[in-house]
Amino acid sequence: MAPAKAPSGHFSILYFAAASTLTTKSNEHLPAPLEARHLFAKLEEKYPGIKEKVLSSCAVTVNLEYVDIDTEDAEQADLVIKEGDEVAIIPPVSSG
Amino acid sequence: MSTSESSNYTPDIPSEPITRTTEEIHIELTPNALDSLSATRFVRSPSAGATVLFIGTTRDTFNDMPVSSLAYTSYTPLAMSTLYSIASSMLSKHQLTKIAIVHKLGECPIGEESIVIAVSAPHRQAAWRAGEEALEEAKKRVEIWKLEKFEGGEGVWRANRDGVMGVKADEGKDEKAATKVT
Repeated sequence: MAPAKAPSGHFSILYFAAASTLTTKSNEHLPAPLEARHLFAKLEEKYPGIKEKVLSSCAVTVNLEYVDIDTEDAEQADLVIKEGDEVAIIPPVSSG
Repeated sequence: MSTSESSNYTPDIPSEPITRTTEEIHIELTPNALDSLSATRFVRSPSAGATVLFIGTTRDTFNDMPVSSLAYTSYTPLAMSTLYSIASSMLSKHQLTKIAIVHKLGECPIGEESIVIAVSAPHRQAAWRAGEEALEEAKKRVEIWKLEKFEGGEGVWRANRDGVMGVKADEGKDEKAATKVT
């Protein structure tokens, strides 16, 4: 289940549901550190269109905690994603 | 961009059930068929006069479109902790005796159980309410995703949240299918 540990200087990012469809992968490693507020821009660069189609309705977790990074004045706007962190893109859920 | 391999999407699912069990709470994510009887047995108690069991099964249509199969995937560690937090909050809010929540992962054939919730309480009112609220909370919050494959091969990621669009798994680009809360 858990992806391979990120190599040094990288963090892991997990994609679920629509996010995994659009990226065509369930996880990958990206260079760390990365300011969390730049995460969506970074992903948009890598996967053009992902922001509007997927990320706009997604939440983000870092090390299993939800973080609020989407807006300029977000509470955790200064958060930095560090080497070895596990980030996840969480689309709207559909259990049951 | 082609994302067509996702019509054959096989979720990364655990091969064995993942469980977390205390005296009063049983949480389980499992690739196996759900066992509603064992959930019921877990919550049954001499101090509880009421046991309520909810069984959610997968439907064969969505908006009249025939669904051929379903698969659930999850962010397992986070889904386990969210389920556990729902269970403990139901336990204290409704003064339950016990609660069990079990969800299927992986392929779930049509008509089979995808979620089982069993609660017990001294009296029936609390058990009814807690059973319903536990299900609504789970559908709203637990990090599990359902891929509905329609006849003809097209797959759609469902979203429980009202007004949120589902994304076609084999397009992921411009086409979207509207979904609504069931």
